[in-house]
Amino acid sequence: MKRQVPLVLCFVFGIVMIFTQFSPHSFSQGIYEEVISWALIIGPFALVLATVTLIQTHTARIRRRTEHWQYSFVVFAGLIIMVLIGIPFKPQNSVFEWLYNNVQLPMDATMFSLLAFFIASAAYRAFRARTFEASLLLITALIVMMGNVPVGDLLSNDTASKARQWILDNPNLSARRGIILGVSLGVISQSIRIILGIERSYLGGGD
Amino acid sequence: MDWNLIGIWVAAFLTLSIYSVLYRDNPFYRFAEHLFVGVSVGYGIVLSIYQGFIPFAWDPFVAAVTGESPTGFIKLIPIGIGLLFFARLSPRHTWLIRYPIAILIGFGAGIAIPNVLRANIFEQTRGTIAPFAEIAAGTLSGWGIFEAVLMVAGVICTLTYFFFAVEHRGPVKWLSKVGIAFLMIGFGSAFGNTVMGRVALLIQRVDFLLGDWLHIIQ
Repeated sequence: MKRQVPLVLCFVFGIVMIFTQFSPHSFSQGIYEEVISWALIIGPFALVLATVTLIQTHTARIRRRTEHWQYSFVVFAGLIIMVLIGIPFKPQNSVFEWLYNNVQLPMDATMFSLLAFFIASAAYRAFRARTFEASLLLITALIVMMGNVPVGDLLSNDTASKARQWILDNPNLSARRGIILGVSLGVISQSIRIILGIERSYLGGGD
Repeated sequence: MDWNLIGIWVAAFLTLSIYSVLYRDNPFYRFAEHLFVGVSVGYGIVLSIYQGFIPFAWDPFVAAVTGESPTGFIKLIPIGIGLLFFARLSPRHTWLIRYPIAILIGFGAGIAIPNVLRANIFEQTRGTIAPFAEIAAGTLSGWGIFEAVLMVAGVICTLTYFFFAVEHRGPVKWLSKVGIAFLMIGFGSAFGNTVMGRVALLIQRVDFLLGDWLHIIQ
């Protein structure tokens, strides 16, 4: 019950998803769509469990008075406000949209833009053209960056953007295709191992 | 009350709070960081309920209860399986969480095999060798032939670098070395594009602060 049933479920759902995709029959397509809807139903429960775990973690922080425990109340405030407005009044509600546009969206963009500073400082330390490979990486990155901004074309008489496009369409694409083919073969072999029950690490330890 | 104006001030305060970490860790950054976590999780829950649970589980179930569509009762099965996730909260019944995880893993593995085969292996291989049909038809220029050969050489050399079943000696070693060069060009392109993407976001935030908030620029 504890290990065999999950292995059987994994096998059945995996096989069903493979065969229904190869069969255009309406019965097969009906099963395919039903199983997809099942996954879409089960998925949100995992998100709710993750939220419960987040709440437990921050409750424990408050109870133990660990460093910066006061900020856990801020997490709760943000979470509760979004849920209390979003669930009863739907995501199209004007207050929910206001919170999304003026609280979440600016913070999201700012958090990601912070990486511009960190990536610049990391590049300063890492981008030393000590080897041929490092020089290749540095030169390619410079050409791609210069080709992305108007000043690059202004200084090079449109050569920068043309060089950038050629790099992206040729050597970059061939490297990406090599990586994609390698990763895809890995994904397929790992998926087969999972479906056949050879790979069981997702079951965790214990009985 | 002008909620647009309040929204701009709130967004400006949060933007500056997050950028304040560039100086050092401080209470404003910690406040914004924790608020971001809470708001993002809340937003994710609301969206997953309205885009996943309600249309795919709740609406069919209600339709079954009201007699519109009796097949909706079948949705009780995935709802029951989803509820097993909460077995994680009971130490004695934690093992029950393996059921929904196994279903999602099996589903993901099953859906991956045909899609990866189709989109990533067949299509990428086709895209790599397609220009050779033009070479055979004599419609490709000299530069186009060079690019087609470069593409195939790059893919083969990159794959050789990841091929660990044979020892990298002799010709394999050299192919692998060329593969590394292609990979470095690929990583350099990815790095350059990532930097420019983040800088674009930074410019957008500065534009918001100087334009929408302070009205210094138009």
